[in-house]
Amino acid sequence: MKRTVIPFGPQHPVLPEPIVLDLILEDERVVDAVPTIGYIHRGLEMMVERVEYTEMGFVVERICGICSFMHGMGYCLSLETIMNVEVPDRAKWLRLIWAEISRIQSHLLWLGLGADAFGFENLFMHCWRMREEILDIFEKTTGGRVIHSVNRIGGVKRDVSDAELAAILVRLEELGKAFKKTASVFATDPSIAHRLVGVGVLSPEDALSTASVGPMARASGLATDTRLGGANLYDQIDFQPVVETAGDCLARVAVRLREVEQSIGIIRQAIDKMPKGEGLPLENRPRGNPAGEAFTRLEQPRGEVVYYVKANGTKYLERFRARTPTFANIPAMIQLVKGCELADVPNIILTIDPCISCTER
Amino acid sequence: MANPLTLPMVRRSLRNLVARPATRKYPYEIRPSFGGARGKIEFDVTTCNYCMLCMRRCPAEAIRVSREDRIWSIEHLRCIACNVCVEVCSKKSLSMSNQPRKPQTPADGVDGQRPGHEEWHLAAPDTTGAPCPDAETPAAKA
Repeated sequence: MKRTVIPFGPQHPVLPEPIVLDLILEDERVVDAVPTIGYIHRGLEMMVERVEYTEMGFVVERICGICSFMHGMGYCLSLETIMNVEVPDRAKWLRLIWAEISRIQSHLLWLGLGADAFGFENLFMHCWRMREEILDIFEKTTGGRVIHSVNRIGGVKRDVSDAELAAILVRLEELGKAFKKTASVFATDPSIAHRLVGVGVLSPEDALSTASVGPMARASGLATDTRLGGANLYDQIDFQPVVETAGDCLARVAVRLREVEQSIGIIRQAIDKMPKGEGLPLENRPRGNPAGEAFTRLEQPRGEVVYYVKANGTKYLERFRARTPTFANIPAMIQLVKGCELADVPNIILTIDPCISCTER
Repeated sequence: MANPLTLPMVRRSLRNLVARPATRKYPYEIRPSFGGARGKIEFDVTTCNYCMLCMRRCPAEAIRVSREDRIWSIEHLRCIACNVCVEVCSKKSLSMSNQPRKPQTPADGVDGQRPGHEEWHLAAPDTTGAPCPDAETPAAKA
């Protein structure tokens, strides 16, 4: 049969970010897809050669606007490992709380975009209205809505008072109640089920063989979650990874819906367990320049991210590298797209939650 | 075909028709900024001693300082509002305002400057090549 090549992106109405994909079609069926990476490459990793390591964290945060907090945190954790810095307890807990709030923010953003992709404009606005509340919490506590710049090597720059933390918890609980109603729409609306059930099914074997990470792998029944390793105080939190077994688009939506509620629970536990009081130490700033190398793994909203930092004893690092979750999920996405109908391609691509700014840096 | 009233979103949509809007009528109604929000860098030309620390530490290379010409300038469009310059300034010449910058068009550039670019000159340019006096001396206060 005659084959047609359709360029999907970088500009496409459904795409929040410029993913570049050439779809090869036979009639309406996709037989192959060729991704191209590098359309918005900005050379951020190279900037370590010009920006001092102490300030580079603020640049690293700008790799992506949605995962910004965790990028900054991962960079600082890497350098803290190299320089043997012990971060004060309260700073660790604050980082955990902010990380979970940014997970809620990212999932709400994605749920809205997902709703938009399958043509549910109204639901999209409901999700983003809730996200605004989260951004307000961020602006109040970190000073920035999207780029927070609170992580510094050795701790955090700002404290959040205990009263404010309690107020945040009350707000999040209220948000959780409103979110339950919206989540029920995703779960019960027949038009959503019509678009998502049985579309883009990723079997557990395929999820394993393509090394997919995050909600993508968890929706296929793999209980992988970097947080289970217990680093960064997650060993003191009682939680289980959210796992669905269907492996289709609706399962990937369901994982993220349940993770929002899970994150609110984690924040509640963290506020309970963190050391209370005013004037507790927040920073333990290192002296001198770093020498050595370190790997750091974190569970971002999209999955596992890996940072590699190599320092050579000067104030400029030798190498900084981030392996982002979207990059790890691209092989699985290509596999899902092969054999599906052209009309299902937007939903499949959106449900891997692609973050192209992160991937191409 | 499902009955539309059993669809969960239909009831919420109908309720939204009579509910208060979630948005504000910007620019007639502006939400006040939170206290600690990072909006815009403010510069106080009278206390600066041109130590150039802010320029060296700025990760975005937004700040330019020239000792010889006594010029301190900032590109607000490059600035990432990370607050580093405010923290390192020993003379407290820099501060962070919680108000964001107002939108500008090319016609809004002050004194022929590009929008987003702000520049301060401290006294007359020093052409003698003498070392820059620090902020306590009368020349710098002028």
